[in-house]
Amino acid sequence: MRIVLWVSALLAAAPLGAQDVAVVLPPGIAWSTNYDDPPIGSPEAIRGGTFNDWIGAYPLTFRLVGPNSNDGFAGWNRLFTMAFSLVKRHPVTDNYIPWMATAWSVQDDQRTVYVRLDPDARWSDGEPITADDWVFTYEMFQSPHIVDPFYAILAQETWESIDKIDDYTLRIVGKDPSWRPLWDFLGIWPTPSHVVTLDSTWVERTNNEPQVAPGPYIVTGRERGESVTFSRVDGWWGEGKHYFRGLYNPDTIQLRIVPEERSLDYLRLGQIDVLQENTARTWNEDYTFEAVRNGWIKRARVFVDFPQGVYGLAMNLEAPIFQDKDFRKAIQYLFNFERLNRNLMFDEYLRISSFFEGTEYANPDIEPYSFDPQRAREHLARAGYRRPSENRSRGLLASAGRMLNGLITTRAADDDILVNERGEKASFSIVYGSKGLERHLTVMQQDYRRAGVEVRLRLLEPGAAFERGLERKYEMHLMGRGTSFFPDPRQYLHTEFRDTTNNNNVWGFGTPQVDSLIEVFEDDLDLEDRQAAMWRIDEIVHDEAFHIPFWGAPFVRLAYWDYIGWPDNWLPKRVLAYNDWPVFWIDPDRKAALEEAMRTGTPLPVDQEIDKDPYDLVDDRQ
Amino acid sequence: MAWIRLDPITRRRLERFRSIKRGWYSLVVLGAAMVLSVFASFLAESRALVVWYGGRVYFPTFTYYEAGRFGQEPPPGWGTGDLEADYLRLQREWDLERVLYERERTAIVGDDRVALAALEEKYANRQNRVFMPPIPWDPYRSDFWYNEILRDVQAELDRDANLRAELLARRDGLDELADAIASGDIETMLADPERSLTGDLLGLARSGAMPSLAGLGALPPTAPDLRRHHYLGTDSQGRDVASRLLYGFRISIFFSLFLVLVSQVVGTAVGSLQGYIGGRFDLLSQRLIEVLLSIPFLYVVIIMGALFAPTFWLLLAIMAAFQWITITFYMRTEMYREKTREYCLAARSYGASHARVVFRHLLPNSLTPLVTFTPFAVVAAIFTLTALDYLGYGLPAPTPSWGEMLDQALLAENRDRLWLTLAPFGALTFTLVLVVFIGESVREAFDPKRYSRYE
Repeated sequence: MRIVLWVSALLAAAPLGAQDVAVVLPPGIAWSTNYDDPPIGSPEAIRGGTFNDWIGAYPLTFRLVGPNSNDGFAGWNRLFTMAFSLVKRHPVTDNYIPWMATAWSVQDDQRTVYVRLDPDARWSDGEPITADDWVFTYEMFQSPHIVDPFYAILAQETWESIDKIDDYTLRIVGKDPSWRPLWDFLGIWPTPSHVVTLDSTWVERTNNEPQVAPGPYIVTGRERGESVTFSRVDGWWGEGKHYFRGLYNPDTIQLRIVPEERSLDYLRLGQIDVLQENTARTWNEDYTFEAVRNGWIKRARVFVDFPQGVYGLAMNLEAPIFQDKDFRKAIQYLFNFERLNRNLMFDEYLRISSFFEGTEYANPDIEPYSFDPQRAREHLARAGYRRPSENRSRGLLASAGRMLNGLITTRAADDDILVNERGEKASFSIVYGSKGLERHLTVMQQDYRRAGVEVRLRLLEPGAAFERGLERKYEMHLMGRGTSFFPDPRQYLHTEFRDTTNNNNVWGFGTPQVDSLIEVFEDDLDLEDRQAAMWRIDEIVHDEAFHIPFWGAPFVRLAYWDYIGWPDNWLPKRVLAYNDWPVFWIDPDRKAALEEAMRTGTPLPVDQEIDKDPYDLVDDRQ
Repeated sequence: MAWIRLDPITRRRLERFRSIKRGWYSLVVLGAAMVLSVFASFLAESRALVVWYGGRVYFPTFTYYEAGRFGQEPPPGWGTGDLEADYLRLQREWDLERVLYERERTAIVGDDRVALAALEEKYANRQNRVFMPPIPWDPYRSDFWYNEILRDVQAELDRDANLRAELLARRDGLDELADAIASGDIETMLADPERSLTGDLLGLARSGAMPSLAGLGALPPTAPDLRRHHYLGTDSQGRDVASRLLYGFRISIFFSLFLVLVSQVVGTAVGSLQGYIGGRFDLLSQRLIEVLLSIPFLYVVIIMGALFAPTFWLLLAIMAAFQWITITFYMRTEMYREKTREYCLAARSYGASHARVVFRHLLPNSLTPLVTFTPFAVVAAIFTLTALDYLGYGLPAPTPSWGEMLDQALLAENRDRLWLTLAPFGALTFTLVLVVFIGESVREAFDPKRYSRYE
């Protein structure tokens, strides 16, 4: 399937070169831009210094496209050197802001966008960045020489054409009209057409070759298996521009190759400056060493707001047991998130309540089903499930026989599982593809069992588990799907996907009402109408109770040496990681003070309040 | 035992085996452990062995009793439900009544019959008894007591229900805390930032100002601790390690015995047939075996596990389908060799049937490889099941299994939790060493260089 698509993308790409009609700017075009939002970085940021961080493995390539170009290093590469798109979404205000463009003009067809480029923009080798470089990226995406089906498909599905009007003006035409053309069509970045020659050896030739870049840094040092170093480009063109202020502060960035489980040791040794901690247990138990006690290493848990995606336990509406809404609600009421959070997760996480959590389309009035066994039992009774009382009052001999029967394998004690009139047990299986959450599932299993519902766990090989979900061959399925800032309800909830399988509608859900609401969301250009439609969908999803939402980590946990400076608002609001936007800096005065303190062994003030909530998010959620 | 005729050689072999002390004691220990493990429900189980309630005797191991039967309140939030009684809590509740009764009776002056009657009425449960198994935990139940007890007591304190808080602490053996609550000292302790940085019981436990609270407020895995009868600590879900070890042993050892029994019987039969019949049959069947041998066993397990929920018997069947092969090679060569010997030809010439030749003459002389390999096959089977569970392709969670325990122990986050590592590693090593000792002794006892049986 994927290969077929790729080939057809190549075929479609073929006639592009043969375009000879010159593209011109339509008369009377209205340009818009936005220089009114605050810069993303802090005005207090200090330039200079060397910042030390880590990556898990030495990069397999320095390219941004082609094989192996999506590893842990790619994020840094995109951020600092390569992927400078035309516009970005401001991570605090959510408005579009010019990045490499200076202005844009969206036409009424909602798919044609004219873009003015920044004439100051220069490549790291000093050459100007012109419209040709943008057109070249589009051609490159479609080239068979990059051996990258992902970009071939992306190019085919996103754009109809990208044309040069003059050196600093582009016309970008999307495949289909969109109500968010800037987001959909302007995420492309430039490629230095004056140095890149695409041919069949390009992939191999450029594997290990630092690229000419539009960004403030280029790769200057590489030691295979040891480290990668970025250094600032002399006289970078973006210096002092409004939205670049306060970003990209260190002069040098050194990435050490560190195995993830040893990253904390490297922080302790001062070999890395900042560590984002993703494990609740480590965060709560392992930061007790001297440097933390003495306030040399500081900690902060910064609450941010990021789309959480669809994450939780899906019930298959095609499975006989989940066709009863009362039974589904009972299962919702028996999910004891608090117990899991308290006893397995250090009370660190917050329950996801909405299907569109972390976006403006999440209905704020929706409360997740809380643990309530009594209501669960009422719903179970309504669904016709009762304790099999006749089984229980059996003789000693029969019980002994049953026990012996199950003696070797497990305890034969299924005598307390509820049954319905047809004699079917209240029993279902959960399919999951990784051991990561197995302990949560087994604890959850106990709560269900106490209420008389048997949960069987089926660990499958990850690929097989994923496929079971897509093919709807399961009863309950542990699923996680990422999302972008704009939710896409169609692929999850539309009847179009209910009637087929192999799609993201893993539940097999769909009603005409939700279909029409999805159409409102997709076609209506008025934000409030779209929002109202999505809130209604959220309500319906909640009431149909086919999805048990899990929990999210709407925060970034940071441990950093005291000389790292942060803006007053710590991090932008829409981030998953602290290095999504490089707002941090190195404070030389505090560095000297810290060195002095460490030399004499004097403690620095310790901030007892680790939780930082610059956007007042926590109260909203609870 | 008419079908086993102990001829003098066999008897001498057995005697010789018994005289090798290492092997003999290993057999005794392993045998005893196996017999004990069959009765694991009486050794490690969260259901009580015996409940003495209101003059009647109950045996909860065999029967489901609702909590209400013993007048036990359901846990908060569960309503009047028909949940099974929580026997460990029941035991503590009744013990507490006994303690309170004794204490308040000494406060009654003289022979105040009315007060005494009221007291007896109030603590009627003091005469009831719960007898728990030595390990009062089944292998599935999570115990979050360490993390939750201080919260529960704190919640009562916050509601100004100091008496309830005191009783809760006393019920669970936190006498120092209970005394502090009763005397009111707790207020000053919590107000002192030296003793409780956060101003609550958790802070008090952390600061070490009340030593008996040490280890409370901890999430699982928790270290070995007698207060809750977790003799080997708890695992990362708060389940009792000792209990899981015992049930894991039961599953491993019986799994491997069944497996070895099936595969050795089948393997011996096939191998003997190959060797005895020989010729084209041998040629063909040997090719079939080679085909079977080239199938990667692990993939078959993974694929079958994806198609059917893996159960004890399914795994046994899959593994047996591959395990019988090894022994066929040895039995085949033995048969080839033995059937050309004179005693075999003599038996044939006397007119003995093929069956008689095989079972009476050839098999007894070909047993050496079977006897020698079987103990090691047991070791291999235990290892394979452990490895499968470790990889996650064995018996489904939450089945107690050594492989799953090893998996937990080897997680980076558990690397300093020694009890998680030592328990399964120790048990595995100990069991395998016992089996190997037995195997060695058997081999020595059967050593053909000492007693040959050429007739």
